[in-house]
Amino acid sequence: MENILVNVSNLNLIYQSINSETIALEDISFQIKNQEFISIIGPSGCGKTTILSLIAGLIKPTSGYIKVMNKIPNPKDDLCGYMFQRDNLLPWRTIEKNIYFGLEIKKQKSKEKKEYAISLANKYGLKDFLKKHPSELSGGMRQRVALIRTLALKPELLLLDEPFSALDYQTKLELCDHVFNIIKSENKTAILVTHDIYEAISMSDKIIVLSARPGKIKAIHETGFKKELTPFERRKTDKAKKLFDVIWQEIQNEKNDEIQ
Amino acid sequence: MKKMMKFSKSHYDYLRKYRTKKILITITQISILVLFLVLWEMLTKYEIISSFFFSSPSKIVDTITELFRSGELIYHSRITLSETLIGFAIATGIGFIIAFILWYSDFLRRVLEPYLVVLNSLPKIALGPIIIIWFGAGSKAIIFMCILIVIIVTIMNILNSFTNCDKQLIALAKSLGANKFQIFFKLILPNSLKDIVATLKINVGLSWIGAIMGEYLVSKAGLGYLLIYGGQVFNLNLVMTATVILCILASVMYFAVAIFEKLMNKFYD
Repeated sequence: MENILVNVSNLNLIYQSINSETIALEDISFQIKNQEFISIIGPSGCGKTTILSLIAGLIKPTSGYIKVMNKIPNPKDDLCGYMFQRDNLLPWRTIEKNIYFGLEIKKQKSKEKKEYAISLANKYGLKDFLKKHPSELSGGMRQRVALIRTLALKPELLLLDEPFSALDYQTKLELCDHVFNIIKSENKTAILVTHDIYEAISMSDKIIVLSARPGKIKAIHETGFKKELTPFERRKTDKAKKLFDVIWQEIQNEKNDEIQ
Repeated sequence: MKKMMKFSKSHYDYLRKYRTKKILITITQISILVLFLVLWEMLTKYEIISSFFFSSPSKIVDTITELFRSGELIYHSRITLSETLIGFAIATGIGFIIAFILWYSDFLRRVLEPYLVVLNSLPKIALGPIIIIWFGAGSKAIIFMCILIVIIVTIMNILNSFTNCDKQLIALAKSLGANKFQIFFKLILPNSLKDIVATLKINVGLSWIGAIMGEYLVSKAGLGYLLIYGGQVFNLNLVMTATVILCILASVMYFAVAIFEKLMNKFYD
């Protein structure tokens, strides 16, 4: 049990608004082991992002519980690093200052932490861009800066909220490999939310398929690829194709159920 | 680094065209002013239009020298300028602080919204009699009028800029566990700097309106007083002179803000 980093148990969430209430998540339970890469996939509006917000401690569940390293999550802790669909770099700051943004907010702007952040930037190909502004960088590079800003805080768990969906296809494939490589070599645990089935298959050890609203767990698949394969190589395997068909069918059934 | 780089010939052609156009614009601007002054002077000199009703550039220059010799020019300008600057500074400062408070407290913002809307649409000159009764017929009343006119617009513009900050950036800061002060100083304020400078520019104009309007009401000294007095005794030279001086002072203040804006932009880069 020591190996379990995230424990989600019988989670329910109801959103309140003036005119209605929406059951966003119903009876969600799963566990994530240390250094595991998990993807959550499902039709849009099924509450994928909500699960990340709950794990980050940004919202509280209506019932059930989440524990990250046996603690109720709180954004003030340094356990989770959140990465968004958009890079959210501050346009008035240089890349270097953007990388320090998390450290500043957490009041951890020590020399060692800054050096660590810069060493990450150098290691992952941003060395020559530290003094530039975000507008001078390509979309893929900006997203890499966002990842390094997140990693600078040394989070145990990375929460990736469709970080590749705003990019063009080629950049997306490249960045998938990059991010995968970075996460594996820094020994991080990650949860990726996506609607791209191949992206989920190629990057993760485990895929959680959610049903349409209210979000329930429909299936959990282990991908079981060899560790040394890159996401790009994984995409091309027969195993990936078979898994794609299974997940496609599950999501498709979900849509048909909805229509009937 | 960039300046050292060699460009193609067409780039230099482009630059030359750009410069020529810029020079042409400046020349035209100056010519319009000169033409206007010459025409005005000629028309009044040959009494095609009456110099009594329209004054003339030479008479304005005479009046300025006269007022300068008697010390009245400095005296009245100083009074109006100080009223304007004090009103501008207080209204901008307090307006900014109120905007911050209203951004900070969603509850207060929603409570005060209708009051702000009403105050904004109320013509502040209507409060003239009340202001005179409360503050007496002196500089205090004029400064208060000035503040009243500037502060509401300041609050509304700056608050609007604060609340328009990208929600995603705020979500990022929140995911990092930022508190409201951190969100304000690290995101909202740098994000709003440009809007704040734009508000300052608007406030320059508004604070002159406030000060002159105040002097119209109270009228003891100042450029507004000169305007009213000149009008009452049908001394159009005096009226025109006061207007010209107002123009000059207001532009100087506007350019001061423009320089401040340039410094700001440098700080940005």
